[in-house]
Amino acid sequence: MKAIIAATILGIIMMYAGFVVKEKKSVLSIATLLFVLLLGVNVWELLTAKPGETQMFFNFQLTVTPFSLWFNTLMTAATLLYVLLMGNDIIKVGKHVGEYFALFFFILVGTYMLSSFNNMLIMFLGIEIISIPQYILAGSDKRNLKSSEASLKYFLMGAFSTGILLMGITLIYGATGEFNISKFSFLQLEQVNPMVLTGVLFLIISFAFKVSAAPMHFWTPDVYDGSPTPFTAFMATIGKAAAFIGFIRLFHTSFATISDSWTMVLAIITAATLFVGNITAVFQQSVKRMLAYSSIAQAGFMLFSVVSVSALAWQGLVIYTVAYTMATLGMFAVLLKLKDYTFDGFNGLAKKNPLLAAVATVFIFSLAGIPLTAGFIAKFYMLQTAVAQGNLMWLVIFALIMAAVSAYYYFRVIIAMYFKTGDPEMASELSGIDKFLLVLTAMLVLLVGVAPQILLPNGI
Amino acid sequence: MNLFLLNAATNSLSDYLPILMQIFMAIGIVAIMMGGSHLLGPKRKTKDKLANFESGIKAIGNARQPMAIKYFLIAILFVLFDVEVIFFYPYAVNFKELGAEGFLAVVMFVSFFLIGFTYIIKKGALKWED
Repeated sequence: MKAIIAATILGIIMMYAGFVVKEKKSVLSIATLLFVLLLGVNVWELLTAKPGETQMFFNFQLTVTPFSLWFNTLMTAATLLYVLLMGNDIIKVGKHVGEYFALFFFILVGTYMLSSFNNMLIMFLGIEIISIPQYILAGSDKRNLKSSEASLKYFLMGAFSTGILLMGITLIYGATGEFNISKFSFLQLEQVNPMVLTGVLFLIISFAFKVSAAPMHFWTPDVYDGSPTPFTAFMATIGKAAAFIGFIRLFHTSFATISDSWTMVLAIITAATLFVGNITAVFQQSVKRMLAYSSIAQAGFMLFSVVSVSALAWQGLVIYTVAYTMATLGMFAVLLKLKDYTFDGFNGLAKKNPLLAAVATVFIFSLAGIPLTAGFIAKFYMLQTAVAQGNLMWLVIFALIMAAVSAYYYFRVIIAMYFKTGDPEMASELSGIDKFLLVLTAMLVLLVGVAPQILLPNGI
Repeated sequence: MNLFLLNAATNSLSDYLPILMQIFMAIGIVAIMMGGSHLLGPKRKTKDKLANFESGIKAIGNARQPMAIKYFLIAILFVLFDVEVIFFYPYAVNFKELGAEGFLAVVMFVSFFLIGFTYIIKKGALKWED
């Protein structure tokens, strides 16, 4: 709760900082400072919370648990890492630098709401608060036609999916007379009513759109490709994680009792997402577009946590989002250092800049799920929850085949870097801080891979 | 929270019958009025009568011309502040019951709007000449 208030106020401060401070670099310094402050508030709230205690706010509309506080802290830390890694590229996108950072603060407000809502209206509010700033960020490169296209497409389709979300909420309200997701009438939906089933289906469609799961994924490649690269990195990582925490929270707290009637639908969506994301990524020529399809494929793995209803799924989601966020942020940071975003643009990078090639290899290994990296342990957790579920063996086997396919397109980057000759053009030289941060991110990826329990402290 | 709408635990499809009736009434009245005037009214068509009504001025050229984005900006900002006014009506009705706490909540709401308003002015969104 403190974090929500803090993020709102810091966002407004950031909005106005753009007027007072004209120098772009100074705006970046202020933003970094405020993000550190926000992380401090998150840590303070986490440390002062009693283990196992649930705090209620606003007439039971918001229930803050230690788990949600921990998730908020991780997401804020990821945002801070993102700003540190790509800050110099964010300020190059356009003129309104203060606003970009303000929008990140507002997206974090939405993330905090989605990790602790107890009422479907707050969930709707959270979804909107993370979506609307993302529509703006997608179109922030105003002179670029592709960026405007991305923004308009995202906005129109996002608004449509929001309509479906509202329809789902309405149908469930009509059947239960209740917005509170942990109320008795909500949890005892045993005699399954067609209105509830339709509502749940609508919610699945809308959330699948927000997390870019097939067949609601068609906006993803165009939007991720057209948006300015630093903002694509944010949308593909923290924006997606926020939508997932809302998804799992709603479906596991309220619809767990009727899970028999929706897990099969979601399992088929998961299989379709894995298939479409991985197979289409194979044919891409641009690494940025490949990462867009890879984000669809990774969303397929994250959907495992929603499909298998268990306490393990929540832990798995935390590990997966953190592993995926770190690796993808790192990969986008490497991409931003290069001028040419095609696979050929990576040719011979290992000779020209061995450090950049080495950290990129770590991130690629993590995305592909090679052991000793965070991606492996994250995939392991996801598949483990599905195996524990029992009746999803076919999905697990299918996911393993798809993970093998993903190695093909991920390793093309490594082959280009190490085994092909070329002279890659750099967009900017690596400064000492850049090197330090990239190595730090790679070390974190390896650390989570070796010791995943650091992401799951006691009492979470 | 004692609004009767939020207390819909014992609802069934028959509860929605009044809404269905209202929909039919609304469609019916419009259909009868339009159809009736079409059937009963005299028809004396002249060229001037069939032309589009443009406030008495003769229509010239195509209406689909590019327009300055400023008009849209003003329209959007108007909607934003119009919504703020809508929230005042329920507050005005419940002014006494909500007391000091309600007053503080509304002051906070308005101050957030004012922050947005000063932001708009400082950004120059309302500047007409450029």
